Amino acid sequence: MDIDTFFFGIYPYIAGTVFLVGSLVRFEREQFGWKADSSQLLDRKTLRLGSNLFHVGILALFAGHFVGLLTPHGVFRSLGVSDLTHQVIAIGAGAVFGLTCMVGGVLLWRRRMFNPRIRAVTRFMDLVILDWLLVTLALGLATLPVSIGHALRGDASVMIALAEWAQSVVTFRADASLLAGVDPIFKIHLFFGMTVFLLFPFSRLVHIWSAPLTYLARPYQVVRAKYVRYR
Amino acid sequence: MSHFLDRLRFFRKVKARFSDGHGIVTDEDRQWEDAYRNRWRFDKVVRSTHGVNCTGGCSWNIHVKNGLVAFEMQATDYPRTRPDLPNHEPRGCQRGASFSWYLYSPHRVKYPLIRGRLLELYRAERAAGKDPVAAWAAIQADPDKRRRYTAVRGLGGFVRAEWDEVVEIIAAANVHTIQTWGPDRIAGFSPIPAMSMISYAAGSRYLSLIGGVPLSFYDWYCDLPPSSPQVWGEQTDVPEAADWYNSGYIIVCGANLPMTRTPDAHFYSEVRYKGTKVVAVAPDYAEYVKFADLWMPLRQGTDAALFMAFAHVTLKEFFIDRQVPYFQDYARQYTDLPMLVRLRDHEGRWVPDRFLRASDFDDALDQDNHPEWKTLALDETTGEVVVPRGSIGFRWGEEGRWSLEPRDADGREVRLALSLVERHDEVLEVDFPHFTPGEGRRLTRRVPVHRLRLDGREVPVATVFDLQVAQYGVDQGLGDARARDYGDAEVPYTPAWAERITGVKRADIERTGREFADNAAKTQGRSMVILGAGVNHWYHNDMTYRAIMNLLHLCGCVGQSGGGWAHYVGQEKLRPQAGWAPIAFALDWYRPPRQMNGTSFFYFHTDQWRYESIAADGLLADTAKGRYKGYTLADYNVVSQRLGWLPSAPHFNENPLEIVRKAEAAGATDEAGVVQHVVDRLKSGDLAFAAEDIDAPENFPRNLFVWRANLLGTSAKGHEYFLKHLLGAQNGVMQDVRPEARGREIRWREHAPIAKLDLLVDVNFRLNSTGAYSDIILPTATWYEKNDLNTTDMHPFIHPLTAAVDPGWESRSDWQIFRALARKFGELAAEHLGVRKDLVAAPLMHDAPTELGQPLEVRDWKRGECEPVPGKTLPQLKVVERDFANVGRMYEALGPLMERIGNNVKGIDWETRAEYERLKTHVGVVGEPGKTQGMPSLAEDTHVCEAILTLAPETNGEVAVRSWRALSRKTGRDHAHLAAGRAHDKITFADIKAQPRKIITAPTWSGLESEEVSYTSGYTNVHERIPFRTLTGRAQFYQDHEWMLDFGEGFCAYRPPLDMAETEPVRRRLGDKPHLVLNWITPHSKWGIHSTYNDNLRMLTLFRGGPVVWIAERDAARVGIRDNDWVEALNANGATVARAVVSQRVPEGMAIMYHAQEKIVNVPGSNTTGKRGGILNSVTRVVVKPTHMIGGYAQLAYGFNYYGTVGSQRDEYVLVHKIADADIDWLERPLSPEREARLNPPDVPQAPYPEQPAAPGPAPEQEPLRPAARSALDPAFEDAPEREPEVAFGKPS
Repeated sequence: MDIDTFFFGIYPYIAGTVFLVGSLVRFEREQFGWKADSSQLLDRKTLRLGSNLFHVGILALFAGHFVGLLTPHGVFRSLGVSDLTHQVIAIGAGAVFGLTCMVGGVLLWRRRMFNPRIRAVTRFMDLVILDWLLVTLALGLATLPVSIGHALRGDASVMIALAEWAQSVVTFRADASLLAGVDPIFKIHLFFGMTVFLLFPFSRLVHIWSAPLTYLARPYQVVRAKYVRYR
Repeated sequence: MSHFLDRLRFFRKVKARFSDGHGIVTDEDRQWEDAYRNRWRFDKVVRSTHGVNCTGGCSWNIHVKNGLVAFEMQATDYPRTRPDLPNHEPRGCQRGASFSWYLYSPHRVKYPLIRGRLLELYRAERAAGKDPVAAWAAIQADPDKRRRYTAVRGLGGFVRAEWDEVVEIIAAANVHTIQTWGPDRIAGFSPIPAMSMISYAAGSRYLSLIGGVPLSFYDWYCDLPPSSPQVWGEQTDVPEAADWYNSGYIIVCGANLPMTRTPDAHFYSEVRYKGTKVVAVAPDYAEYVKFADLWMPLRQGTDAALFMAFAHVTLKEFFIDRQVPYFQDYARQYTDLPMLVRLRDHEGRWVPDRFLRASDFDDALDQDNHPEWKTLALDETTGEVVVPRGSIGFRWGEEGRWSLEPRDADGREVRLALSLVERHDEVLEVDFPHFTPGEGRRLTRRVPVHRLRLDGREVPVATVFDLQVAQYGVDQGLGDARARDYGDAEVPYTPAWAERITGVKRADIERTGREFADNAAKTQGRSMVILGAGVNHWYHNDMTYRAIMNLLHLCGCVGQSGGGWAHYVGQEKLRPQAGWAPIAFALDWYRPPRQMNGTSFFYFHTDQWRYESIAADGLLADTAKGRYKGYTLADYNVVSQRLGWLPSAPHFNENPLEIVRKAEAAGATDEAGVVQHVVDRLKSGDLAFAAEDIDAPENFPRNLFVWRANLLGTSAKGHEYFLKHLLGAQNGVMQDVRPEARGREIRWREHAPIAKLDLLVDVNFRLNSTGAYSDIILPTATWYEKNDLNTTDMHPFIHPLTAAVDPGWESRSDWQIFRALARKFGELAAEHLGVRKDLVAAPLMHDAPTELGQPLEVRDWKRGECEPVPGKTLPQLKVVERDFANVGRMYEALGPLMERIGNNVKGIDWETRAEYERLKTHVGVVGEPGKTQGMPSLAEDTHVCEAILTLAPETNGEVAVRSWRALSRKTGRDHAHLAAGRAHDKITFADIKAQPRKIITAPTWSGLESEEVSYTSGYTNVHERIPFRTLTGRAQFYQDHEWMLDFGEGFCAYRPPLDMAETEPVRRRLGDKPHLVLNWITPHSKWGIHSTYNDNLRMLTLFRGGPVVWIAERDAARVGIRDNDWVEALNANGATVARAVVSQRVPEGMAIMYHAQEKIVNVPGSNTTGKRGGILNSVTRVVVKPTHMIGGYAQLAYGFNYYGTVGSQRDEYVLVHKIADADIDWLERPLSPEREARLNPPDVPQAPYPEQPAAPGPAPEQEPLRPAARSALDPAFEDAPEREPEVAFGKPS
């Protein structure tokens, strides 16, 4: 087994399994630790800007990656989106939101490292996950020059290869050979990106599962019935 | 079942809707709630409380889960009081509720700890083949070895040790000390027994058995109000908190009720719903001020002036302008106001002298028994001088006439005259001492007098009432310079004058004085003053208190429900005291016990006397006879000890075992022979009191036990002097000794010795400052891990501490710790000591015939004014034969003296044979063959609890009735009816575990436990006509002892705070750095009971998490201090570092550092001393007051914690300056040899260690100083100008 097969044929499933099973186990057993661990009470000033930039950026990046990578190539075609357009949108949106996220992330990192009150409540895993996300993000941004080079040459093959690989993974037909000709910077970014899923259940990222979207539409008052089932 | 699966039912979770769809009902899982339920679930509940130094006495339920204490909750099952009275419960506060944290906290002492270097030394000696005592002796004989561990006290270096080994070391040290220096060189300190009586008794019983010295604490804390013994002959007796509710008018002065009497404070607010007016007297906006209708923000330390002015108003409007029958009758019967006082010619001026006595008459007015102790008054109806019953002469040597019935000695009814203004022989100009700065040293007033022919001379006498009215400046129409009206600011004690002194508005003073008296007149005395540390911690505390008491007596409030004084600071009520004392002081084996007053002990042994800045001459009145003029405060204390007034420890400059041995070697065969030999030696100067050369190595205290206390971290006024001289540790004392402190009676050695203690043992469950400086720390059980008893004066119930869980880790209960020590001691003593005779020098005790030691005037045997007579002009000298080898056995058994001699409290004796027998079956007897076989067992703490409950009248109705009968014989009146209803009640330990029990009325106390009235002090004096235990038998406005008159305190006068002059010597160290000069105020805090809880995480979280000093906003702004900045407070005594709390509630000129934030949490180094920034007491120094040393004179006689010098600390000033964050040094560096050697701050010379003579009896280096030789030695001091005390308020520089 060569190294590519491991990292892009097997590792995605390891990361994915840990991500899902880990999240489930933690949700079942560690309800009291299932939280975003907000430090807003201790310092609001830098949080407001940093957190908003970071979250807007990363949510947009997530959506972009999700749509861009998992939408079958034919769908774009049938919608009349040319590969070049696709590429330009990907590069443009990626650059804008990547930088947004990066600025927010650095603000948050600085706050976490150098604000004594935040530092005092910081756990090891908080630093690991924040650092890891920032490195992944930096790697993602580092792919931009390469992608721009492709776009200028009108070459969409790498973008298509990455999407096909991603689709092969989620359809349980992982084919590492699809990435054979891809620039190493993409591969490194892919590895870091997958590892985020691996670390996910052990970090504060689990709050993503419980994003309180229902708050937007729920009634004012929620009461629970007195009847308790599990007793 | 599964949180995840539940989530999958997202769209089905809404079960119902309501409120038009604004609300929904779901059936979401609620399992998570169990986490919170389990937090408060438990396996068992046990009743206990918090055992030291908090007078709350709150019953708590301790909840145990899985063998661990989970939490505590307030018990709410107190018996009901009365239908018209709010209940006592719930009792408890934030501090108690956080106690369980300690059990499993990092502060917990888990194993015996010993200073590593000491253990190495000891093991080396033992390995060399020495037995334990010889091993200890070898370490002590070698100064280098000794220094190895004494010099690092406070610098860490503890190692974990085995119980057997440390107990052996301590026992060996005790045996060695007894052998070499004497048992009176072993001392022990533990405060306020009432909160955990058995634990206190454990240490004191051990010490008493081996001849050691328990030190008093109440006076040392300055919580004892010396005014109470002076005025009532009563240590302290106060109303229970519920009695506040019976009051109609309350003035609160220096007692922060919501903050420091938290569980009782509800009565303070509830009584206001009845319409009671509350006036708060406080310099700062303290918590209790919030409850008040009127706030009087007075200058700190001037309270006496305020209350004098209240009394001025009362005297004028309720005694002179009109007469209130209730006030007149009260004054006549229960106060000394009608008593006659002789006037003395002092350099051509008349001044008040002592009370007229029956013995002044040729026929002693037919009094055969103690006529010199019977005071006199004029009968209003006949105009004759009569001998009213109740004076102390009736108390001893006769029976049946010691009562406050309005009768004379022969039983004739009398009506005593208060004033002679209508019947005087003439009017004389009398001078009164006066101390207000800028007003002259005397007040001259015209006083109506009666002339008597005594001893062939004409003697003018006046009533206390007339003298008092004159001194208060209330016009009686005698044509002198008394107040024209209240606005006359030139005449002392008018409201206008008081406004000038106190800063309180004149109109408020006038109105409050009037309202207070008016309410008392209408309600027969239901006006109350609640007072405490804020006024009692000043040097002249007795003047302030007497000013308050005078007002209360004029208004007939003392002894009345809802009225009187309510002193709350450090006071306690060890309700079953009579049952406890014999066990605690081993009176079941030996009598008398050896005891010592803490303040004088520490004043001497920490060498604070060598730094004295207050000249006693400056305190003397202008009218003083001044026979001791030129004496230092320490000199007065030496005189006091040799006259038998105050106790001494050590007694003499020789081992008391050796003294007896020498006497027997010289042919003495019995006690009388030994005593005679000792008296002869004292007279010849061959033997001397230890205090005369207190710095001699043979007079050092050698071993000190501290248990259930934090001596060094809390109450050590002059903390840094303790570190320097007693311990020889790193210290922050910033000055060298003061040459002017050199005395006449006490030898001045060139170098003040350091490291006097051979061994400091701390017994505690948490590691605090005392532990940090100790040589050995023994882990004890917490308050939830032992069985004990708890009572308070705040409520009338007794309840237990019971073991909720076993003592944690290797800790043991105090009772078991000292039991193990006693056993080991006995083992070692069997070989080294055996049975030895010990000479105990006990002072002339109060509540015993010895209180009639020295009538009329002071006679000093050493000056040849009288013969030294033990028990009269010298301490009582008693030979006690101690069986040292059996100490272990005796500790565990109730000794035979309880069967043979019986029990005693407050001068009342009764026999206890029945109780002794009852205990044999109730708790069982000792089975072990030997000396104690068949005696009631005291092996376990529960046995001790039962023994106390059985012996005490408060918990055993039969004993109560018996003791009341004993008192009835003295007074000639029946008192047994007070306890008759509960004659068959016997409260056992099982009873109080089930529910707190109300105690039974006993003659130990001056109040009643009844269904009709709340407990209040003085109630039986007024309602049962039992005399106050004073010279006149009445509450005394006048103190006629020669020293009282010398110091100008015959009558109460306003005396301003002292100027301790301790900031000037260090001011240069600050250069031109901006700083403040602030009065150092150390009140009790919200987050702790002394140091306890101040280091508790739960409490630390509620405020700044470390030590703080509060200062005024304006003061802070002046020197650029912002809130939460680090600041240093320093003066000649040392320095302390804390964060500043800048607040508007503190007045300018004052720094408040709440008591007692320790140096173990968040305290950096001090920039000035270079040592760890200290505690609140790092900048204080104790100053003793000669009037508190008086003894052998009726109520002014010694009793443990009853009378004696007090450790005041409020007259102190500090320099406060900001420390930049960058300059904070946490001193977190390894110990270097240089640092170890540098004990003092920079520029303070270091004294050499004392040489350690291998055996006692060193030759004196020079002749002891004689008064005559003194001025030649130091003429400069003699010529020094007298310092006049003045009020100095902080000024920014």
